[in-house]
Amino acid sequence: MTKHMDTNSNSWEIGGKTLHSRLLIGSALYPSPANMEDAIKISGSQIVTVALRRQSAGEGTGDNFWNIIKSLGIEVLPNTAGCHSAKEAITTAQMAREIFGTNWIKLEVIGDQYNLQPDPFETVKAAEVLIKEGFEVFPYTTDDLVVAKRLANVGCEIIMPWGSMIGSGKGLMNPDNLTAIRKQFPELKLIVDAGIGKPSHATQAMELGYDGVLLNSAIALAHDPVKMADAFRVAVEAGRLGYEAGTMQQREFASPSTPTIGTPFWHQFKD
Amino acid sequence: MIEIILNGKRTTISKEMNVKEIIKELKYKQKGFALALNGTFVAIATYETTFIHDNDSIEILAPVQGG
Repeated sequence: MTKHMDTNSNSWEIGGKTLHSRLLIGSALYPSPANMEDAIKISGSQIVTVALRRQSAGEGTGDNFWNIIKSLGIEVLPNTAGCHSAKEAITTAQMAREIFGTNWIKLEVIGDQYNLQPDPFETVKAAEVLIKEGFEVFPYTTDDLVVAKRLANVGCEIIMPWGSMIGSGKGLMNPDNLTAIRKQFPELKLIVDAGIGKPSHATQAMELGYDGVLLNSAIALAHDPVKMADAFRVAVEAGRLGYEAGTMQQREFASPSTPTIGTPFWHQFKD
Repeated sequence: MIEIILNGKRTTISKEMNVKEIIKELKYKQKGFALALNGTFVAIATYETTFIHDNDSIEILAPVQGG
């Protein structure tokens, strides 16, 4: 019987917490709350993103959702989705801290309504204020190295460059840019956020040395979200293990893996 | 009577009052949401000392699904 050897180094730290899973999962767009709950559970994720929206008087429609999330006993990462200025994002973060009881905030300041590209100027401005107020900021940004540098300069210990546009499922548009950020900031926690569409995209991000991936649509909009959540769990683990194991150097030419010594039917001389 | 903007809609309330009182008048539950006044967060601890005036804008937000 083959004995499985666990080579996974497992735990890592982010935002002052020690976790095992490197998959951060969203809670939106699932066919039903029960489906969301099952998907989150099977994903093994220990961080789930949530949001804030206007509530009408006497309305308690969010209670069921929030009770499910609380019952999962995992870390909650509120976002500032929909904000278009640093001021809006800061206020939303402060409101989220009171409601969710966490100083973690996924900082999103949208600069373009068409492609939901983050506004780098307002994002950096908001990050600076929020860090001074004691927040652990998870900023959503593009794969621009200089923006990442600005975020690091104002104190961000976590940076979340996009793979591609939110909800596009196009995967990693610029792996070279993501690699440049990884190389520039070996000490920071880097999460690829947005654009992941398939498990292989998540594996690719992890193979680049990213510390985790954050995704929502790829699981929630799959034909079978629960099975896809399981697929992403495996994909993220595979990518991380591959990164830790160290991939081989690429070669320009073919190189046989089977030993050439003792090759049958081979002669030192030609007829 | 004064007029405020509640979650983007014009709403009439009986008089100027503090945040704790307006939550009661508007028939909101006592917890599970957070409030901003004119774009600035109002902490629960300051509800009784923060007053609502004519034309003020209030946002009341609650948890929902998010990505």
